[in-house]
Amino acid sequence: MLKRWQNYAIGTVVASTLVLSGCSSDSGSNDEAGASASAPSSAANAVKPSGFPIVEQPIKLKFFTRIAPTNGPFKDMPVFQEYEKMSNVQVEFTEAPTDGFQEKKNLLFASNELPDALYRSQLTQLEAIRYGAAGQLIPLEGLIEQYAPNLTALMEQYPEIRSGITTPEGHIYAIPGIVTLDSARTDKKWINQAWLKKLNLKMPETTDELYDVLVAFRDQDPNGNGQKDELPLTARTPVAGQGLPIVNMMSGSFGLDLQMGYNINIADDKVEIWMGNERNKEMLMYLNKLYQEKLLDPEMFSQKEADYLAKQASGNTGMFFDQTNNVFLEIQDQYTGMSPVKGPHGDQLQSQGAPIARDFGAFAITSVNKYPEVTMRWIDYFYSDEGSTLLRFGREGENYELRDGIPYYTDAFMETGNQPKITPYAGGGAPHLISEKVASLINPPQVQEAQDKLTPYMPEVRYAAPMFDEETAQKVNILRNDLDKYYEEQSTKFIAGALSFDKWDEFQATLKKLKIDELQQIYQEAYDKMAK
Amino acid sequence: MEISQAETAEEAARGLARRSGGMLGRMAKRFDLYLMLLLPIAWYLLFHYGPLYGLQIAFKDFNPGKGIGGSEWVGFDHFQRFFESYYFERLLWNTLSINLFSLLIAFPVPIILALIVNELRSKSFSKWLQNITFIPHFMSVVVIVGILSVFLSPNTGPVNKLIEAFGGEPIRFMESAGWFKTIFISSNIWQNMGWQSIIYIAALSGVNPQLYEAAKMDGASRLRRIWHVSLPGIVPVIVILLILDIGHFMDVGFEKILLMQNNLNLESSDVISTFVYTTGILNGEYSYTAAIGLFNSLINLTLLLLVNRFARRTAETSLW
Repeated sequence: MLKRWQNYAIGTVVASTLVLSGCSSDSGSNDEAGASASAPSSAANAVKPSGFPIVEQPIKLKFFTRIAPTNGPFKDMPVFQEYEKMSNVQVEFTEAPTDGFQEKKNLLFASNELPDALYRSQLTQLEAIRYGAAGQLIPLEGLIEQYAPNLTALMEQYPEIRSGITTPEGHIYAIPGIVTLDSARTDKKWINQAWLKKLNLKMPETTDELYDVLVAFRDQDPNGNGQKDELPLTARTPVAGQGLPIVNMMSGSFGLDLQMGYNINIADDKVEIWMGNERNKEMLMYLNKLYQEKLLDPEMFSQKEADYLAKQASGNTGMFFDQTNNVFLEIQDQYTGMSPVKGPHGDQLQSQGAPIARDFGAFAITSVNKYPEVTMRWIDYFYSDEGSTLLRFGREGENYELRDGIPYYTDAFMETGNQPKITPYAGGGAPHLISEKVASLINPPQVQEAQDKLTPYMPEVRYAAPMFDEETAQKVNILRNDLDKYYEEQSTKFIAGALSFDKWDEFQATLKKLKIDELQQIYQEAYDKMAK
Repeated sequence: MEISQAETAEEAARGLARRSGGMLGRMAKRFDLYLMLLLPIAWYLLFHYGPLYGLQIAFKDFNPGKGIGGSEWVGFDHFQRFFESYYFERLLWNTLSINLFSLLIAFPVPIILALIVNELRSKSFSKWLQNITFIPHFMSVVVIVGILSVFLSPNTGPVNKLIEAFGGEPIRFMESAGWFKTIFISSNIWQNMGWQSIIYIAALSGVNPQLYEAAKMDGASRLRRIWHVSLPGIVPVIVILLILDIGHFMDVGFEKILLMQNNLNLESSDVISTFVYTTGILNGEYSYTAAIGLFNSLINLTLLLLVNRFARRTAETSLW
């Protein structure tokens, strides 16, 4: 019996060793089919330069898209059903859930099994540059000029859009989601005014006052149930590589700006990555104080997005950050927007905020697409108010009604609770235009007021993340992979008290070792080019 | 038609057998068995040897547009970058230590469990014990990690409630680097000991009962019998399973670690496999992480060969 067992065991070991060695190559396995750079469109069914339908004979396109937990299937969304009839373009969506989307997207490129286009794709700048240079994404600047009048008009009105998406070689590989509505580019600071009123507190204006208010929230039982169960302050859970939300929300009070899409201050044309700055230490110490005294949500570093949203809607939270009031609509009167608080050195800045081309890499066309012109015309429609209305609101009468020319969801439809199911904008990152005309739901008076509290404290110029050439982008990626990981991990530990501030010198030294200076130099050069 | 074909094949086989008489002849005679073998061989070639071709991207700057063959060679650049990386030591230490501790602490547990089950007089109780320890094996890792965070939650978890009842301070188990390995390994033991003990229990039932009787006649106590009869009886199985475990030494429970990871315990939960996932798949650095994966596999292979040789010398049992 043992003998037989041994034989079996040998087989298993051989197999597992092979699996092990095989594993490392799986991620990159690739058929060698090179991507053809250009794809001719069929002449018989030529694309019309303007008007609908886009083509006379119906054609089919395959899109790869991200589906958020709140969305219904894309094929049931009124926007795509109606638009198919309008345009004669039938789009078949392959849906990948937000969780694990990044992984699936990268595997598509690595295995070269490409769809015709990527919709709502969250391509990073590096990905756009890398896959563009590899010929998997086609350059779009020519197509935009010829077939995208709406997009072109927007880029002329806001030149920063073009500079934010064009590579140094002059190519555009991905189209962003464009947000001309100010209030859709910032997270508001929501504070519980019902609690302030009940405890007879005034709106905090400095970091010290904020601290006192949070202590009062914690100790004085503002919800009146006799228990100390109030949550004074919470924030979103960090996503690896995207910084710590709580830091982004508070940094402005400590003189730390977020320029060029990174932890960067710009003063007198000098770019400074401030992660090792003493001001950052001050901020982390402040947050550490809040954390130690249980003013800051202890679950902040491990909770799920759903937990965070539930805390907003519970009404039992003193302060949090979000773009709109949609999550806590039912108790909206309890909260109000506040201005950034003034820090110990008098800084009062709303450093968090997105550029007008808010969602970089929302749409891209691949090299296997036989109808790039049609695809470009197809997507361009959503950069008009009319197309955006269709995308965000669905069918007139059934889903929305016009009041003074502005679309509002009908009350009957809102009551069904299906609003986020019928539009791909819910869950973020859809390639379209968000202007004041289509913002009746996300920009109600309460949100506008909250935005007005922030506007005076916005930096004069907000520089978008720069586009590097391929080689530099690769270098930045390598540097930032190590640096960001280190910075996020150590900051979290400083805040949670798992790392003592005695180690600050060591922290600074390690940042140097991870070549923060080299990265700063690269950003400086990019800034110099932009400023010219 | 078919019959005649089969006949000719048989004739041909006989002819072959007569001529060579050696291995080829035997193969021709039993061609049906060898045909069946073709399937697993094809499987190995396709799914295990085939992908080895892709290993070359560890030495290249892989560009998906150019394909594996078309990408440029960069030699050992990726390996060098990994060895010089700030995280190299931490990744290596965590990977090794989690496995080493697992081996030291978790490996003996199913053996002990099997011995206990074997010694139990009450058949129904031993069945019950086996079932209870067996069930967790069928839970998915996601559920297990969910259970862990509920039980160990600092606000509502029963474990911390207990600590508080004894006057202690609640501990943030899931967000502490110091506790990570303990939680990871002990929950692994809890989940897998029943499953892993099955093989030992089977081996124990194969030990000749006469040996026990003889030992009893000689007045050996229960512990003595376990020590001198049961254990020697299953040593070969233990050694084989140990070598098998070493075969997986470097690939720790990847999903479970990834699920348990957060910035606060990264210090001790950052291992090679999760690093490969986050850097390679999520950030698209295929070549760099292929190099890391290859390095990982090489260590694994070396360990396997070493332990196998060691086992052959000392315990006179080995895989080959």
